[in-house]
Amino acid sequence: MSSPTIRDLAWLKSIPQSSAVLRASPSVQARVAAELPFPKISCFADIPAATSALIVAGGGRLMDEAKHFRARRRPALGLILVPSIWGSGAESSPIAVLNREGGKEIAVGGEFLPDAVVYWPELLATVSPARARYACGDSWSHALEAFLSPLACDSLRGELATLIREMLRLPLDADPRWFQASARANAFQAKASVGLVHGIAHVLEHPLRAQYPEQEWGHARLCSVFLLPVMNLNRAASPKWAEVAHQHAIDEDAVWRILQRLFEPEAFAAALPLLRENWMKILRDPCTRTNGALIRARYLEEIERQVAA
Amino acid sequence: MTNTEKLKDLVVDVFLIDPKEFRVDLKREEIETWDSLGVVSLAVGVQETFGHHFTQDEAMGIAGVRDIIKILEARGISFDE
Repeated sequence: MSSPTIRDLAWLKSIPQSSAVLRASPSVQARVAAELPFPKISCFADIPAATSALIVAGGGRLMDEAKHFRARRRPALGLILVPSIWGSGAESSPIAVLNREGGKEIAVGGEFLPDAVVYWPELLATVSPARARYACGDSWSHALEAFLSPLACDSLRGELATLIREMLRLPLDADPRWFQASARANAFQAKASVGLVHGIAHVLEHPLRAQYPEQEWGHARLCSVFLLPVMNLNRAASPKWAEVAHQHAIDEDAVWRILQRLFEPEAFAAALPLLRENWMKILRDPCTRTNGALIRARYLEEIERQVAA
Repeated sequence: MTNTEKLKDLVVDVFLIDPKEFRVDLKREEIETWDSLGVVSLAVGVQETFGHHFTQDEAMGIAGVRDIIKILEARGISFDE
């Protein structure tokens, strides 16, 4: 499975306008359309038969839909992804996470990798500080859960430790270095799997959005909010974190300072009733089952106690 | 808590079964959640509970609870309680 080629904006602008179409998320549409005068589409089914490349600029959800569409409906179409924010790592991952009626559908395979990725740092001007923090939390959850995963081999854990040390030096805001760090975290988690944070995020995203439609309850925010409680649980339930962090010279205090800055106590408390209601479903989620520590049914009480703490 | 009780707790938690369903002669094919991810969770739980890290061959060869006991007894963990 090869990685997508990383290209720059000049390369993207050199593509003949007649050979490609563009779809962009509303948040970046004006900016992208001003710089890239390709014919615009609002639905993948509208792509003309003669088109040879699809350019998609936006967040993880739109990029994953594009990957799935290309793989299933137009495999000969070139796919170029321009992420508007980091975190999901969708632009470099062979995984397509799709929002479907009642939950997430996850498809995995080399056919979901795009042909090229263009990092466009100026698009970060569209990202709010809160969304930037959630995206950082998403990347941190990929890196830490992959680092602890029972499916991570020693060499992969070593690469993840290097990445974690680099991430500790990045601010929790819109810094273009997050694009590459996030892509690496995502590539590693694709090899090692993730854990309970992702089990919670996959199960709770739909019910939380339904219950609080006015709030931004997306995957990245869920990862940000639950990373500290889950890592506290991992640290209490198993000696594994302490062992591998020590073995790979990870500064545990520095990691916990990041987790505390990502944590939102009010959001955590608001999500708890749905966590209780869906706990058995979360325990059955494939991500939860590859958590670094065994997640037992009674651990729900441990997580709940953290509200008081 | 005896080692048998610890193992029962572990099997119940890993495979999300009712404690009443637990038997020493319980077989893998009787439990729907005893799939490949179940084996991964079981290995994590055995390491946390009994301090033994399954080898790949051991993990692949487990066909039921009795096999887990055999592996752990071979490591000096007694279930003669």
